[in-house]
Amino acid sequence: MVNDLLSAYLPLAIFIGVAVVIGLALLISPFLIAYQQPDPEKLSAYECGFNAFDDARMTFDVRYYLVALLFIIFDLEVAFLFPWAVTFGALGWFGFWSMMIFLGVLTIGFIYEWKKGALEWD
Amino acid sequence: MDVSFAFFYLFAAVLLGSGFMVVAARNPVHAVLFLILAFVNAAALFLLLSAEFLAMILVVVYVGAVAVLFLFVVMMLDVDFAELKQGFLQYLPIGALIGVLFLIELIAVASFIVSGGKIAGAPLAINAVAQGERNITNVKAIGDVLYTTYVYYFEAAGLILLVAMLGAIVLTLHRREGVRRQSAAEQNARTKLTAVELRKVPFRQGV
Amino acid sequence: MTIGLTHYLTVAAILFTLGVFGIFLNRKNIILIMMCVELILLAVNINLVAFSAFRGDILGQVYALLILTVAAAEAAIGLAILVVYYRNRGTIAVEDVNMMRG
Repeated sequence: MVNDLLSAYLPLAIFIGVAVVIGLALLISPFLIAYQQPDPEKLSAYECGFNAFDDARMTFDVRYYLVALLFIIFDLEVAFLFPWAVTFGALGWFGFWSMMIFLGVLTIGFIYEWKKGALEWD
Repeated sequence: MDVSFAFFYLFAAVLLGSGFMVVAARNPVHAVLFLILAFVNAAALFLLLSAEFLAMILVVVYVGAVAVLFLFVVMMLDVDFAELKQGFLQYLPIGALIGVLFLIELIAVASFIVSGGKIAGAPLAINAVAQGERNITNVKAIGDVLYTTYVYYFEAAGLILLVAMLGAIVLTLHRREGVRRQSAAEQNARTKLTAVELRKVPFRQGV
Repeated sequence: MTIGLTHYLTVAAILFTLGVFGIFLNRKNIILIMMCVELILLAVNINLVAFSAFRGDILGQVYALLILTVAAAEAAIGLAILVVYYRNRGTIAVEDVNMMRG
C-alpha cells in the first residue's frame, strides 16, 4: 500500500534529480571551461558613465502587498474546496450547507473589499 | 530496508539545513528562499507519510503564496538589514544554551512517548484506518470528516480567513485623496447622445 | 531498519528548536522573527501529520490543515502590521516598539 503510493511519485523524484543535475552542471561548468580574466570593472554597475546613484534593489508599492494577501485568502478557500469536491456525492445536505456557510462568510469579506475599493488600482 | 529510508534522510537533512540557513542567512532575501526550500522538503516528508493532500497544499499555499508575501515585504521595505543583523553574535551563547536544553527535552519526550506509550514500535501502519482498509485516497479521507464531523473547526477556519482579510484591508488600504480615478462603468454608460454634440458651424464665424 | 515515529518527531523537534533559536538570535529583525514562527508552525505540522499517519487517524491531518490556515492568516496580519509600522516610523527595529509604554 505504502510503496504503491510512493512508487507513483517516483517520476517526480527522477524529475527533481534531473533538474538538480542540470542546474549544478550549468553552475559548475563555467568555472571549469570558460575563459577567465577577472577585473573589478567587469562587476561594477554601469549607469551611462556615472557611478551608480543608489542600490539596485527597487522597493515595491504597498498595493502589490494587498493583492498578494487577498490571493492567499482565496488560495486557502480553494484548498478547502478540493476535498469537498472529491467527497461531494457522499456528504449529503449537511456537508453541502456547511460549505455554503463557509463560502458565505468569505463572500462577506469579498463584498467588503470590493466596496472599499481594495481591488482597484488607481 | 527500502528506498523510502534513504529519501527520508535526504529530505530531513535538506529540511534542517535550510531551516538553519533561514536563521543564519545574512541577506533576508536568501532567508526567504531557504524558507521556500524548507517548505518543499517538508512537503516531501508529508508525501513519505502518505499525506498527499497536505503535501500539495503546503506547496501551493506556502511556497506559492506565503513565501511570496514575505518576499514582497522584504523587497517593499527599504531597510538596512545589515544594521539589524548586529548583535547577532551577542545573543548567540544564551540562544544556543536555551536551544540545546529545549532540544534535549523535546527528544527525550519524543523517545519516551514512542517507547512507553501506546504506539510503541508500531511500524508504519500508515493511515491504516483512514485509507488502507477502505482503500480510499487521502483527499477523500479528509473530505469525509472535515465537513461533517469537524464542521465547527471548518467554520472557524472560515472566520479566521474573514478576520485576516478584513484586518489586512483596514490596516494597509489607504486611498489617496484628490486623485482623479477612472470609472469604467461611467465610461461604458456613455452613449453617442450624451457624449457627442453636433453643431452647425457658420462659415467664417466660428462657434 | 525502517523509519519510525521517533525519526519524524526528532526532525520536528530539531526544526522547532531552530525556530526558537532563530527568534533569540534575530531579536532586531521582525521579518526574520516571523519566518522563524513559520518554521515552528511547520515543525508542529510535521508532528501532527506523523502522529496521524502512525496512529491511522485522519484527525491529525485535518488539524494540520487548520494550522496551515491560522499560520497563513497570522503571516498576513503580522506583515500588514509591519507595513503600517514601517510607513509610520520608517524603521522596523523591534527595540523601538515601546512607544506605548507609559
